[in-house]
Amino acid sequence: MSKTKNYMYKSWWKILGVVLLVYTFVAGLLGKVPNLPALEETVRNLYFHVCMWFAMMILFTISVINGIKYLRTFDIRYDIISRQYATTGIVLGLLGYATGAIWMSYTWADPNNPAFQSFGALAREPKLIGTAIALLIYFAYLVLRDSIADMDKRARISAVYNIFAYAMLFPSIWIVPRLLPSLHPGQEGNPAMNFKDIDASMRIVFYPAVIGWTLLAVWITTIKIRIGLLKEKKWQ
Amino acid sequence: MKKFTRTFFFVIPLLLCIGQLAAQGVKNESAIGETMRSSGRIYVVIAVMLTILAGLVIYLVRLDRRMTKLEKE
Amino acid sequence: MLFLGIEEPEEKVWNGLFWVIQLFICINAVAKSFLQESRGRMLYFYSIASPASFVLAKLLFNTLLMLVMSLLSLLLFTLFLGNPVVRTGPFIGLVLLGGWSLSLIFTFLAAIAARAQQNAAIMAVLGFPLIVPQLILLMKISNATFNPLLTIHASNMLLLAALDIMVILLAVILFPFLWKD
Repeated sequence: MSKTKNYMYKSWWKILGVVLLVYTFVAGLLGKVPNLPALEETVRNLYFHVCMWFAMMILFTISVINGIKYLRTFDIRYDIISRQYATTGIVLGLLGYATGAIWMSYTWADPNNPAFQSFGALAREPKLIGTAIALLIYFAYLVLRDSIADMDKRARISAVYNIFAYAMLFPSIWIVPRLLPSLHPGQEGNPAMNFKDIDASMRIVFYPAVIGWTLLAVWITTIKIRIGLLKEKKWQ
Repeated sequence: MKKFTRTFFFVIPLLLCIGQLAAQGVKNESAIGETMRSSGRIYVVIAVMLTILAGLVIYLVRLDRRMTKLEKE
Repeated sequence: MLFLGIEEPEEKVWNGLFWVIQLFICINAVAKSFLQESRGRMLYFYSIASPASFVLAKLLFNTLLMLVMSLLSLLLFTLFLGNPVVRTGPFIGLVLLGGWSLSLIFTFLAAIAARAQQNAAIMAVLGFPLIVPQLILLMKISNATFNPLLTIHASNMLLLAALDIMVILLAVILFPFLWKD
């Protein structure tokens, strides 16, 4: 455990995260972007909105890894870690939704855009469904946790649900976009990874941006984990 | 512990509302819409950045409060 | 009761209705399997069988139950709401496959819900996000059976079967953790 505890108190990666974010903001606002007719300058949102989703998925993955670790060691600390990563992931997901709503309302849902028909058409968007599923799974995870009183049992059952749900989530993210028409770029597979129109100048900002946002989220989570561990100590 | 369940049932309709408002707000052209669409819609990016910042700050404030409570106990 | 409301619904409505009804049947039928077991009986099973074989037996039983229920509901649907299916053979196959995958997922979730000592409500909360993509997939494939012009992609069927196998594997791996007390 001491190894995992250590990284929370190191500061180099926190500094790295902040530096990367500063770079993201500066380069993201001043850098050159390809001028796309439907997006114009809003393509810069790639560095903010899309990163939320990436960071969310990374945090959920860390949560599952800690769930597996819990089932192998039955160390309650892994359960706390797993839970905190899940909640921070949800927060990022909600931010992703909020920013997506803003971005959408000035691009797809724009009344000047002939492609826009109704709100219903937007709600059928596969990426929206996929992320809604991801968020609902983790909401359900938290509801499940709250419904069990016994601590060990709660940790065990929620870890099992976490792994099961995560394993089901991946195929669905992979399946659903193939079935439904999408306005989102990156129709097959991962968005932004194979943007046809994302050129090199955007990529050198995008990848650091993902890492930067993720590190920031991890930082917040480690603080929450430390609070959780403190509470845990107090109870004993 | 019940708090979370309550938040859960609160957040879902809220999300739907946000989407609905965002979709409808644009329909009636307003001064905000004009501004947002000027200079290559750069203000959309600003709005997105501010939303993320506000979200993270609100989250940190809540965390801070919980920490204070814990310290008092 | 549905046939009072709508008579001879359109193909797509029929399809959607059918799968949603399937979902409800599945939740109600499968939920019973774990929630009805008393503590004593669980303890008894615990002493005579390994968790893996126990969960496999449960999965098998629920699968059979769900297959029978699927055929029954298909029969009732054709009786009361008419039968818009053009290609009956593939559709029945799809109904069985769909019933199978629904019952697998909900069996495992029922196990989780039963350990949490909760009613069927939490099972619905847990299961809903997991089942949505499968339902979309099922509706999409079964739509093709209503129209002779559309072809059914074998890859979609394979995807469904692969998902089912994955659920079984996960259930066998994860169930022992739920089991011990």
